[in-house]
Amino acid sequence: MELSAYAQGGWRLLGDPRCFPRRSYAAVLRAAFRSLLLGHSREGLDDPDLKDIDPTVLKHCHASAAMCILEAGKQKADISAISTCLEDCKLDKERIEQFCTEYQKNKDALEILLGSIGRSPLHITDVSWRLEYQIKNNQLHKTYQPSYLVTLNVEENSDSGSHPDVSFSCTMEQLQDLVGKLKDAAKSLERASQM
Amino acid sequence: MLVVLSEAQRADLECLPRAGAAGKLNVDVDTIQHGVEGLTYLLTESSKVMISETDFQDSIHVLGFSDELNKLLLQLYLDNRKEIRNVLGELAPRLPSYHNLEWRLDVQLASRSLRQQIKPAVTVKLHLNENGDETAHVLQTDPSTLLHLIQELEQALGEMKTNHCRRIVRNMK
Repeated sequence: MELSAYAQGGWRLLGDPRCFPRRSYAAVLRAAFRSLLLGHSREGLDDPDLKDIDPTVLKHCHASAAMCILEAGKQKADISAISTCLEDCKLDKERIEQFCTEYQKNKDALEILLGSIGRSPLHITDVSWRLEYQIKNNQLHKTYQPSYLVTLNVEENSDSGSHPDVSFSCTMEQLQDLVGKLKDAAKSLERASQM
Repeated sequence: MLVVLSEAQRADLECLPRAGAAGKLNVDVDTIQHGVEGLTYLLTESSKVMISETDFQDSIHVLGFSDELNKLLLQLYLDNRKEIRNVLGELAPRLPSYHNLEWRLDVQLASRSLRQQIKPAVTVKLHLNENGDETAHVLQTDPSTLLHLIQELEQALGEMKTNHCRRIVRNMK
């Protein structure tokens, strides 16, 4: 696992007890994790343990910590890889352990976050259906046939939150065809997972 | 229920026997056109409401045609009503309708932001017919949602077999 020169510079400062006493170091780590996982970028840095630190230095170190967290998450790095990387930045054992503990606690959430970034086709989240029995329309009377209206609720991957749901009508036979094909897919999925 | 013919339509149809019996086109284009329009209206309306044989015969009785012509018209109606109904069915307001579904299993192994993944997904291509045009939607879902979709839609299919729906279908006819 490798960090950029900028990030390494930030970590060297974080490892220096003169720049960052123990409580301040812990506060920076907390702030970095929180800003990545919860999306609050300002809050963590208003911690009272950080008020004595030069804002430019604080910004550099906060960013470096975040970069290290992301790189470790992306590579699915294990503890030894992270430790080696931080040792190169002259951090003492205690501080490395602090970071690793914090990282372990947040590893799963981080993985979910990183996994959700990226493009994919529109994702189906749910389905609604309506069964109706047609009696007549203005062109044709006595039609007497059942018909289904199916809506696939779709959620876009980006955070735009738009919902371009797909709706369509179908007869009973067509719905049976659709369900049959979905069941084939499910069966294949089951077989593949047993391999 | 009878098919009611307006004055104009009766007039149109009344010129038919004259043209038919003559055997030769001793009639002008206008008359023929009116005749065809009248006939079209008669057959379309009859097919639309799915009029019974008896009612059809009663409806055209008012035109005062010969028995032979009446029988001919009735036969014309009976022979063509299914197809006419099919055509009329196409005119009704419609939503996009299901045509086909293709599916594919994918496993995402890595992305720019995360390496070493095993993320199964089902990609589907839903083909729909919309006013004669075919559209296709490419969508994706995960295994648990797929099972949920199957369960929900099977429930939907089961609805038609319930007593409630059966009773309504029986009583509607």
